[in-house]
Amino acid sequence: MNIQEYFSLLFTDYTLQTITMGTAVLGAVCGMLGSFAVLRKQSLLGDAISHAALPGIALAFLITGTKDSTVLLLGALVSGLIGTFWIRGIVTKTHLKSDTALGLILSLFFGFGMLLLTFIQKQPNANQAGLDKYLFGQAATLLRSDVWLMTAVTATCLMVVLLFWKEFKILLFDAEYTKTLGFNTRFIDILITSFIVLAIVLGLQTVGVVLMSAMLLAPAAAARQWTNSLGIMIVLAALFGAFSGVLGTAISASHNNLSTGPVIVLVAAVVVLISFVFSPGRGILFRELRFRKNRKDLQLFKTLSFMYNIAENHEDISHPHEIKILNNFQGFTKKSLRKLEDENYVTIKGSRWSLTKEGYTKAANLYNQQTIDTND
Amino acid sequence: MTSAQLEIQMIASFVAVACAIPGTFLVLRKMALISDAISHSILPGIVIGFFITQDLSSPINILLAALSGVITVILVEFIQKTRLVKEDTAIGLVFPALFSIGVIMIAQNANDVHLDVDAVLLGELAFAPFDRWILGTTDLGPKSLWVIGIILLFTITLLITFFKELKVSTFDVGLASALGFSPVVLHYGLMSVASITTVGAFDAVGAILVVALMIAPAATAYLLTTDLKKMLVLACVFGVFSAVMGYWIAHWLDASISGSMTTVLGLVFLGVYLFAPDKGLFSVLYRQRQQQTEVSLLVFLLHLQNHTETSERHRNHLQEHINWGSVKSEKVLKLALDNNMISVDNEVISLTEKGYNFTTGALEYITMNKTSELENIKEDFFLFRG
Repeated sequence: MNIQEYFSLLFTDYTLQTITMGTAVLGAVCGMLGSFAVLRKQSLLGDAISHAALPGIALAFLITGTKDSTVLLLGALVSGLIGTFWIRGIVTKTHLKSDTALGLILSLFFGFGMLLLTFIQKQPNANQAGLDKYLFGQAATLLRSDVWLMTAVTATCLMVVLLFWKEFKILLFDAEYTKTLGFNTRFIDILITSFIVLAIVLGLQTVGVVLMSAMLLAPAAAARQWTNSLGIMIVLAALFGAFSGVLGTAISASHNNLSTGPVIVLVAAVVVLISFVFSPGRGILFRELRFRKNRKDLQLFKTLSFMYNIAENHEDISHPHEIKILNNFQGFTKKSLRKLEDENYVTIKGSRWSLTKEGYTKAANLYNQQTIDTND
Repeated sequence: MTSAQLEIQMIASFVAVACAIPGTFLVLRKMALISDAISHSILPGIVIGFFITQDLSSPINILLAALSGVITVILVEFIQKTRLVKEDTAIGLVFPALFSIGVIMIAQNANDVHLDVDAVLLGELAFAPFDRWILGTTDLGPKSLWVIGIILLFTITLLITFFKELKVSTFDVGLASALGFSPVVLHYGLMSVASITTVGAFDAVGAILVVALMIAPAATAYLLTTDLKKMLVLACVFGVFSAVMGYWIAHWLDASISGSMTTVLGLVFLGVYLFAPDKGLFSVLYRQRQQQTEVSLLVFLLHLQNHTETSERHRNHLQEHINWGSVKSEKVLKLALDNNMISVDNEVISLTEKGYNFTTGALEYITMNKTSELENIKEDFFLFRG
């Protein structure tokens, strides 16, 4: 099956529809909430939470004995939340830094989860197979009911975000100010964090514990490059997330032996890469171009100011001078001279140049930022 | 105890010590999460190395994987330098991408390669004694024991040689570069050691346990001491303890050794986190409570000192004036009485001489903020002990 076939099958094949919808919704909700995580500098919280959710899944299975994904995800949610609040406890109550706290919770919970998983595997219970799909995720195991659950959670998220938009926004950018305004920052903080945990837990089944953090981060990091407005960033991140979900599913479905999770993550990584390089405001490419242009302008102005120093000593500012006297001056080339002429700063006659009135005032005010600004 | 069991415990302990040493520095340099990133992103290096050598523990494989660990660090730093995203986001972007590449490479060649993601991520210590290094006809012991032993020796040598440099550059980068130790060289040196250790250890214990073994013992030790040498020793002790305990618990539960080692590490950390004498949760909470009571007492005494008129010092008036609940004001009142700071005469409260002197001292300290004023009240009060 190639990608075109995939898209034509999409309208008829029930399983493909389910999976595609699932990954699209997941990408959207992760992008939306990931924006908050990225802006709050909690990018790696997602990584820690997704690992911390593993023992919850195992314990939920041990206690209930069912493999119903809702029950298991509930367990994941509880242990994810415990992990999150323990991280917070470590950071606020001890002198350990947040990176240490994140790494600790991540590895300790995950190790404990692995202990439980291997313990379950040794149990004489035929029902246990398939729990390890939560490690790397298997989009193929998504059911319609799972997709509905995701959609419901996404809708709730969206409602909460819209309802608390002002509070979320102000907390993101100035937590202290929020406090002085009398908002309950603790409550808002816990609300955002809980929803991030919820989104991560939802993604475990599809993308898996290990790669979940990238689902959260990548769309948001990409969206950040294109805009400085929170609203646009969240919408963009949701779009990027959904796009990576759909395209990743399409690529993995059209090849053998490609699991969906890693492909989605790689697609998202490519989106990030493109945003890093090509975004007009912050991208590396345009920044480099601007940098080059500034450097060129600077050299041009250097030549201009040199000319100004010569012309200053003459009564008539447009008194012609030999081009030769510029020759051993840095930054002077034939091209830059022509550029100066194009800008109408000098006039060239034969082998002589002379400053124009315009060039003279420009050079005189070169270091006077304010007049330049008003002239422009 | 059979020789295989002994060998497993030896490998686990070696790994624990080899991880604890770089781990301590990573925790102190606030770079703990780099170990997580490295442990995931060595996967493509391992896979490529495995395709070339067909052997997980060959030196080429280890070098290739360590190289991909260092590349991760460089990539993360490059993204940071563009200042497009924050440092932690950079880490979070790089390692899942590299890990995904590794997973896909494994999946694409799943048919002819004897290597799966679970093994890389989780390791299987129980099988380590079966992969032996046989030279001619003599059995030299398990390969992983040799690999991790050499890495451990290498790490310890580097630690002893560059201890001073590492110490200075960890705590004061500016001073280190002023003294002529290049922080960049030390940084990349540490990163290389961390990568090599991760690679050497993952084969035995898996990538995630490496992270746990690097961070958890160091973090636990950091809660107990602020002396670098003590911290290193304590971290090694915790690591080895969990390695051995973890083995026996796994043996008893018949479950994954690396999982149970991590669990023991977690329990040790939890215990220290709750009960550490100075920085544990309980002592921090106790101290905060104590300070809160003392601040209340101080406010109360200052109030008394400010008001000489009887109506202001009436027991019932105080309650509404300072705006405390009745329980709290009774508590503070009792504390002040017990310390002979105040005397109550017909429901009217007045400062005793001791109380007056104390309040004056505290006031002087508060207004002048000089430590010399502090000396005589330090002993009575937690609050002023700094």
